[in-house]
Amino acid sequence: MARNPLKHHVAIVGVGSAGYGRDLERTALSLGLEAAVKAIDDAGIDRQEIDGICGTGMTPLAMGGAGFLSLQGALGIERCTWAKNGWLGSALVFAVEAVFAGLCDTALVVQSYLREPGMSRAAARDPFRRRAQAYADVGGDVGLGDMAKRWIHSGEPYAAIMRRYMHDFGVDNEAFGLMAVNNRSHALTNPDAVLRSPLTLDDYRASRLIWEPMVMADMDLPVDCAEAFVVTTAERARDLRGDPVYVHAMSLGGTRIGEYYENWAGWHDNAFTACLDGLRARSEIWTDDLDLFYPYDGYTIDAIAITEAAGFCELGGSRDLFRSSWDQRDQILRLNGRTLVTPNGGGLAMGRAGGSNLYADAVRQLRGDAGANQMAGADTAMVGIGSFFHDPAAMVLVSSRQV
Amino acid sequence: MRDGYSDAEGRGMTTPVPSNDDVFAHFHDVHVDRDNLEHYRALMTGRLVINRCDDCGHWIYPHRPLCPACLSWSVSPREVGGEGRVYMYTLLHQSRDPNKPLTEPMGLAAIELAEQAGLRYLSRVVGCAGEALFHGMPVRLTWTTEADGRRWPAFAPVGEG
Repeated sequence: MARNPLKHHVAIVGVGSAGYGRDLERTALSLGLEAAVKAIDDAGIDRQEIDGICGTGMTPLAMGGAGFLSLQGALGIERCTWAKNGWLGSALVFAVEAVFAGLCDTALVVQSYLREPGMSRAAARDPFRRRAQAYADVGGDVGLGDMAKRWIHSGEPYAAIMRRYMHDFGVDNEAFGLMAVNNRSHALTNPDAVLRSPLTLDDYRASRLIWEPMVMADMDLPVDCAEAFVVTTAERARDLRGDPVYVHAMSLGGTRIGEYYENWAGWHDNAFTACLDGLRARSEIWTDDLDLFYPYDGYTIDAIAITEAAGFCELGGSRDLFRSSWDQRDQILRLNGRTLVTPNGGGLAMGRAGGSNLYADAVRQLRGDAGANQMAGADTAMVGIGSFFHDPAAMVLVSSRQV
Repeated sequence: MRDGYSDAEGRGMTTPVPSNDDVFAHFHDVHVDRDNLEHYRALMTGRLVINRCDDCGHWIYPHRPLCPACLSWSVSPREVGGEGRVYMYTLLHQSRDPNKPLTEPMGLAAIELAEQAGLRYLSRVVGCAGEALFHGMPVRLTWTTEADGRRWPAFAPVGEG
């Protein structure tokens, strides 16, 4: 085991969502502010208690979006002793780190996502989306000129990795399809989900090819949305009116692969395995003990790789695992006969939130207020979010009954 | 004054070495920096160069100034032989620019260069139908000319390029 001094010392005490939609006609900041206000209200604290903020963005000083400076100014939060921007799964990990380390006592995390103009022809026609893309953040050189730089920040390598998966393990796309069906089935009963029409494995296989062999149903759904969280110490959490959810263990991850996807070093040696191995070395709760499992589903290949990195099955074994875990009546997965997978529909069906809606649903489930999709008595959840090389993060969360 | 390079066909003629200003102008839409400048200068004269460690011989890609194998700073751009194999690939059915739809799927592959295991360069694959591509396919460097007149490295199946 590795050191895990933060176990149960930090809690999530507030969540808030601005809702999900294909076109909410609002800025990233406006959505983020709504989520933030709701999360602060949910925690039952005065906003001036917040002394740390993690905003949205890939750069420390992202301007024009829902970055920490804009959030602090817009929310009228007087003083902070910690601030940072982040995205994907690492944003919440950063905030927990900061609270545990004592750089702040109560951190606000805001993750705001827009349907970007590069994601569809319709989105590209929207002048507001084009301007937001041009000025809101810095994405770097993503190969619009030089093809050799095209995979630095792109979904295309995920299609190549998906093909390698099918080649290396001698399988077709069934596991990918079952993950998509699972998430869609859960979304049918999530009133906040954007995709609420049934999906069958045949529908998945008839989905439009985008980057062969990847089809549209392998991709998360671009939406406008925001999620926010309030993170504080266990001591402070016990004084608040709500039921806290505790951080049991967490990990980030990285390998020598660096930032170029084409240098991908295989199934044993990627950021997901580094991250989940790091979590396993710190967590006393593992796959046999889980009520809920949230593998990030930016692309279905992410969710497959995270499932395997967590050790639910051997590498390449997802198809057989999913077949034996399939609940035919509900058209969902029950891993080990019971663990539910992404019961809010995730990015594939609820909408693309960079994984923040996975954390949010885990918190709501462990508090027992996840609405129609509530799992009775849910006490443990594992969330794994990120990419094959950047920003992987994994966390085990537990209900207050476990602490 | 730097020597001229041999041209791409190796006929012994030399072409003038592009200046830094030439490189910036030619690659106006690329993040040219001091670590990758020689790579782009060489592309303008039809050569594919990649940094190599002068001390231990390790090839270094992407373009970085420090050898990750031995931590030497003595790193020089060297021309690669152009032989390789398809490591992983996808067929793009949808272009990024909705105003320039693809007329047929475009093969895009991480080419593992013969120089070193794991040394890969992302490139178009040309001269080959999409369904004929396979993992491990032997390919050789060639060059394509885009609509804007710029020439870029590409790879074609050996014997068909």
